[in-house]
Amino acid sequence: MSDDLAGLVADRVGDRAAGWDVAGELPRDLLAELGALGVLCAQVGVEHGGAGLDSRANGELTAAVGELCGSLRSVMTSQGMAAWAIRRLGTAGQRDHFLRRLTSGELAAVGFSEPGAGSDLAAMATTITDGGSGDVVVRGRKVWVTAAHYADLLLVFGGYRGGATAVVVPADTPGVRVERVPHPSGCRAAGHAGLVLDHVRVPADHVLGGVGLPLPLVVTAALTYGRMSVAWGCVGILRACLAAAVEHTGGREQFGIPLAGHQLVGRLLAELYVGEQIATRACEHASASWDGGAPEVATDAVQAKYVASRAAAAGASHAVQLLASAAACDGHVVARAYRDAKLMEIIEGTTEICQLLLAEHVRGRAGTVRGRP
Amino acid sequence: MTTTSEPVAEQVQAFLTERTRQTWARDTDLFAVGGVSSMFAMELVVHLESTFDIVIAGPDLALDNFRTVDGMTALVLRLREAEQ
Repeated sequence: MSDDLAGLVADRVGDRAAGWDVAGELPRDLLAELGALGVLCAQVGVEHGGAGLDSRANGELTAAVGELCGSLRSVMTSQGMAAWAIRRLGTAGQRDHFLRRLTSGELAAVGFSEPGAGSDLAAMATTITDGGSGDVVVRGRKVWVTAAHYADLLLVFGGYRGGATAVVVPADTPGVRVERVPHPSGCRAAGHAGLVLDHVRVPADHVLGGVGLPLPLVVTAALTYGRMSVAWGCVGILRACLAAAVEHTGGREQFGIPLAGHQLVGRLLAELYVGEQIATRACEHASASWDGGAPEVATDAVQAKYVASRAAAAGASHAVQLLASAAACDGHVVARAYRDAKLMEIIEGTTEICQLLLAEHVRGRAGTVRGRP
Repeated sequence: MTTTSEPVAEQVQAFLTERTRQTWARDTDLFAVGGVSSMFAMELVVHLESTFDIVIAGPDLALDNFRTVDGMTALVLRLREAEQ
């Protein structure tokens, strides 16, 4: 199933990813088509029109898309995270209604970060307040919302009734302004945008769960999916880099032998290969935790994202070095990988935030190592 | 199968003891004493789901349901009841 969907995406993408990167735009009709096929949030169950993949299969699909186009994979991460947040935070009625919309061609984006709340999401200032007559009022600003440029539905996180939750805001609601990030350095066609929400009124049943929930739990629940998706996307980046590096260094000759025969080149190839393998193993481990209902899934997702994004940034840098001038133009798969990978060390919890979370995790259970109590 | 509160509470206490290496009275506020991080709160949610074969979503994620062993026990019993 995952392979079928990956083949379908490869067929639709063809050789167009380079052009999308240079233009900074994905074809909207393609996104709607992939959305309606359930590809963009493939863990949504068949009962809601989704592909019903488990985390592992969706991970492999995410890596396959990420190998082709980091921008499309980013859109997939957003759609999947929106779907997961609705599934986790929403009521049964909200799941039935909104998940079906996300598998029918409507696109979604998720807004966490704000001008004053990046790594410190507890500083979030966006508010959702009961507005009477069955409405709520949403006020605030969000920044760097991936895919917001394409989105029909904006999942906006904010404070509500003493806690926090997310509210589904249709992008065409009066008071919503979507301001595109002009020239993002990576995932250039992913449609990053800022949101201005000026007294935006939406029906109260768009507030996920309908109550204020603990902010750390709300954020961790949603980000855990995002981290899995980013991590698998980084595996895709590494696979694209490895394929390009092997092909180039095996074909081009200098000093009378293929580049790959030079020992210093061989070392970079080895490091790139090991980076791909380690990132894959970390992702497989986290997906096994997800699919097996292991309590450590949130920590394993942080670990996978941390390992895979660092490996992708290092691996893409190696690939640029190996391909040299052959990859030194925008649009080239390795040039895209280099720019995209660095952003993956920032999004969904920076490398440093991941380190803090992992340190906190290990401190909380000093003396016990999983599998070796 | 009906579930009574005693075995559920004991199971939750055993999990907490394993993970925090301290024992927890059924009515101690886990969050008030600073023993619980955001990641650990998520661990509790997933642990309860997989151990008791329930889904904890939407309004059931309210903090009060996870504050004490008694709170988690009541949540588990209520969700199991609803699924039968």
